[in-house]
Amino acid sequence: MPSINLPGMEWAWLIPGLSLLAFAIIVFLGKRLPGKGSYVAITAIGLGFILFWFVLKDLLYSRPATFNVTWFDVSKYSLKWGMIIDPLSVLMLGVVTSVAFAIQVYSLGYMKGDPRFGWYFAVQALFAASMLGLVLADNFLLLYITWELVGICSYLLIGFWYERRSAAEAAKKAFVTTRLGDVGLLIGILILFKQLGTFDMSTIFQAAQRGDISAGILTLVAILIFLGAMGKSAQFPLHVWLPDAMEGPTPVSALIHAATMVAAGVYLVARSFPLFEVAPYALDVVAIIGLLTTLIGSTLALVMTDLKRIIAYSTISKLGFMMLALGSGGYAAAMLYLMTHAFFKALLFLGAGSVIHSTGKQDIREMGGLWRKMPVTAVTFIVAAIALAGLPPLSGFFSKDEALIAIRDAQSPVVYLLALVAVFLSALYVARPAFVVFFGRLKPENAHAHESPPVMTVPMMALAFMSIISGFFVFNWVGPLFGLPAQFKGFGAFLFLEHPEAFHFDVMLAVYSTLIAIAALGLGWTIYHKGLISPASIMERFAGVHRVLVNKFYMDDFYQAIINRVVLAFSNLVALFDRRVVNDTGVNGTANLTAFAGYRLRYHETGKFYDYALAIALGTTLIVIVAFLVT
Amino acid sequence: MVSATAGSICLLLSLYVFINYRYTIGGYQFTDQYPWLKGLGVSWHVGVDGISTPMVLLTGIVMFSGVFISWNINKRTKDFFILLLTLVTGVYGVFVSLDLFFLFFFYELAVLPMYLLIGVWGASSTFPTFARTKEYGALKLTLYLVAGSVLVWVALLAVYVQAGINSFDILELQKLGYPQGFQYLFYLFFMIGFGILAGLWPFHTWSPDGHVAAPTAVSMLHAGVLMKLGAYGIIRVGMGLFPEGAQTWAPALLILGTINVVYGAISAMAQRDLKYVIGYSSVSHMGYVLMGFATLKVVGVNGAVLQMFSHGIMTALFFALVGVVYDRAHVRDIGIFEGIAKRMGTTAAFFTVAGLTSLGLPGLSGFVAELLVFVGTFQTNVFFGILGVIGAALTAVYILRLLSKVFFGPLSPRWEKLTDATKLETFAMGVLVAVLIFVGVYPMPFMRIIDSGVVPLIGRLLTVA
Repeated sequence: MPSINLPGMEWAWLIPGLSLLAFAIIVFLGKRLPGKGSYVAITAIGLGFILFWFVLKDLLYSRPATFNVTWFDVSKYSLKWGMIIDPLSVLMLGVVTSVAFAIQVYSLGYMKGDPRFGWYFAVQALFAASMLGLVLADNFLLLYITWELVGICSYLLIGFWYERRSAAEAAKKAFVTTRLGDVGLLIGILILFKQLGTFDMSTIFQAAQRGDISAGILTLVAILIFLGAMGKSAQFPLHVWLPDAMEGPTPVSALIHAATMVAAGVYLVARSFPLFEVAPYALDVVAIIGLLTTLIGSTLALVMTDLKRIIAYSTISKLGFMMLALGSGGYAAAMLYLMTHAFFKALLFLGAGSVIHSTGKQDIREMGGLWRKMPVTAVTFIVAAIALAGLPPLSGFFSKDEALIAIRDAQSPVVYLLALVAVFLSALYVARPAFVVFFGRLKPENAHAHESPPVMTVPMMALAFMSIISGFFVFNWVGPLFGLPAQFKGFGAFLFLEHPEAFHFDVMLAVYSTLIAIAALGLGWTIYHKGLISPASIMERFAGVHRVLVNKFYMDDFYQAIINRVVLAFSNLVALFDRRVVNDTGVNGTANLTAFAGYRLRYHETGKFYDYALAIALGTTLIVIVAFLVT
Repeated sequence: MVSATAGSICLLLSLYVFINYRYTIGGYQFTDQYPWLKGLGVSWHVGVDGISTPMVLLTGIVMFSGVFISWNINKRTKDFFILLLTLVTGVYGVFVSLDLFFLFFFYELAVLPMYLLIGVWGASSTFPTFARTKEYGALKLTLYLVAGSVLVWVALLAVYVQAGINSFDILELQKLGYPQGFQYLFYLFFMIGFGILAGLWPFHTWSPDGHVAAPTAVSMLHAGVLMKLGAYGIIRVGMGLFPEGAQTWAPALLILGTINVVYGAISAMAQRDLKYVIGYSSVSHMGYVLMGFATLKVVGVNGAVLQMFSHGIMTALFFALVGVVYDRAHVRDIGIFEGIAKRMGTTAAFFTVAGLTSLGLPGLSGFVAELLVFVGTFQTNVFFGILGVIGAALTAVYILRLLSKVFFGPLSPRWEKLTDATKLETFAMGVLVAVLIFVGVYPMPFMRIIDSGVVPLIGRLLTVA
């Protein structure tokens, strides 16, 4: 029963708007508010989550729509701020508001007592506003604006504890690396604008589908846009910033560097899918980069010893997996994966945060047997790990299989095989922290470890619930359970309102993908719990491989060398050129001469600046005479 | 006190002009005209259009803030403010003059006090490999600018003679056509003459050296407003009088502007001194103004004018902040600082805002301006547009390096006793920060006014073609 009085999709702008307002309130009044303004931020995002349900219902009853207002006019162009309400954006609204709400509540406990508590929530609110604006944007200009804003929030939050040199450096590295990708994105957007005179997405996509843009330019633009996505979503070779970003507070890693912002690249490619579809080779590039990224991420996750870095590399590998699915045409599969991943990966981080909060340590070698001390954390962490490994019936199972079907259908057997290898590695690398941290013997120095307060565990339980059930959204019978109208016909059908697509299910694939995951978990159990195969002996046997992995394929060293040897050397050269050649030779030579003349004139005249006036006057007169003679 | 009052009145008057400028009507408003030297055709003719109105406002804001920042100058205070106010008079004069003679008169009036301001109240610096005395900076700056003036003056007189209507009035002179060869030659004079003041490569080296030697308020006015005089001269006099000349030389200006952007950014990256970094970043950012002019498109020129305004506010803020740090630390070497955000929270926050404006973060004024310049440049030439975008990314590198090194990281014990900006300084700089955010979020009022000035200018340019 559609009701006119209920808030509908035209209210959607309020979802980011409320958080933006919260940001302004905390910045100006935060010190005087109870909880330094933290409740304002949480209320804003909570209201956003409620509004999301109204928007979702409204969308199910009606059709996608766009709304916009003029930002400013210039020349014949009118630049607009507008929002698009369609299944894709509403799905993202749901993911972002729910995860952000859970994590902001969790932060109340985690950040308690921090001297910049208020500032933390201010930036969290700004991030939520920007991220929600990003998913709602109906034109590339607004998308780029919010894209940069989430980037700067990420910068501010990674560098939140700026007194640590490593945090300051990590923040800088994250921003500069993603900016490299953004250069591509902006150039791509500007080329589109040059071609079509608009930033509006639907106009651009229609033009692309009609064939108004030549194939060459389409591919170029698609790859440039993908470059932006590579930076944000930490795709090879721009992935190096994400592990360092773990310098930020753990809830930040959970929200920004696992669930939402890093998924923005996947969202961008999905949003621009009409463009990628018609651009020759563009999807192949996406698939190849995705495959490389997922392999690199999952191998590196195996050897890291820092709990957060393990999860960070796991994020890289999963983002690569989503890109691979997208590149294989699995639009719905990638978005399903994005949603389920947001829940279980955020949960993994919150679990890690809970452990770090309690023990004060981040190195998994210093942990063990913690399940006795922190049972809730242990259970939720293991739920998330199983979801990530993809065992039925948890959410990761559905999304992983959906993606694997897309990959199998579109790619060569080699790529598919490598994707299965990545699935195996994922289960193995997540088994490692689960077994090492929570099982085994409790270390005496961790005897004081305790379960985190409810303000932290309740959000974790909520996310655990979502990690378990969010895969069921592929079935249409789940809608009514959540109060959704009968128009909801399962995830695939929802995402393609126009051309409903049923959930794919392949029993054979489900069986062997599950077997692969179980095998990997079992192997993990043998190595990391039972110690039947000692990790040390593996390391010894493959010392060379291990060294390469621990050094992250030497990519950081390589980039550092480039920065030091090439970029800085070049800039020093230019600066030297400026001083020695342009200045000392080109300028001082002339200047000395002029100064000499001025010096002489000063002796003859008063020494005030009349002499300059005189010089000008004399020169002018001379020139006037010459001018008269010439003309 | 008098200066503070004067500064406030200037700001209020500027605001009045800005708010009451009717963009729907466009053209020159608030005009005033009296004949002065009838024999020569010189008249006191003032007025503002969509291009000069934002410049007038810019001058008002920077002046206002600059006066409050120099509150603690106690060496010959009266002389300092007399010269500062003379300088500002000159600047205002240039922006409102519609008579070439007065425009040039004010132009000189704005440039010359610089010499004394830097020479007397400036600071000398010694660096590991070279040294710059304040006298050197002052002398170099003045000689450079005077050299530019000579070119301009020659070209002005040539126009006067060529036109032969016994008038220096810009509006009268604009109506005439000039022979092609004449335009080619003298547009170049204007472009280089005014360009020197705008920091045009390779005539830019006076600018970083001058900044390093200058006292805070002078750096603010200098980089914030004076460099805009050069750009304003190019657009008002050069492009206004010589449409064909502008078209002929546009490719050259585009190339030089792009060099400014990239070269300035790369040079800034290698600098060790805070003021040199900001000085070279000015060279880089003024490049966007020149690129915007060179597009000869309404969008690009709009962006360029907005960039003049935005960069003016931003760089004034930068120099104010460097001044605040230098007043307390007495050094400006980046390598010596570490983690001073702990002691100077407000300063660090403001520096971050200025830095983010500089690297083109959306929501701050620099983004809007640069976006429009890019849109224009892409329509003219994709290659230079791409270089421009890359230049903006390079900015991110040097700005973030600076922020990370100077403000973040562990507080070094040497700066344990550092104090944050005073209330007065915070107020002076807060005004600038507020403007940056306002323009970045809601540029509509600015764009409407600027557009009303740019459209006729470009219209004239294109009808000639």
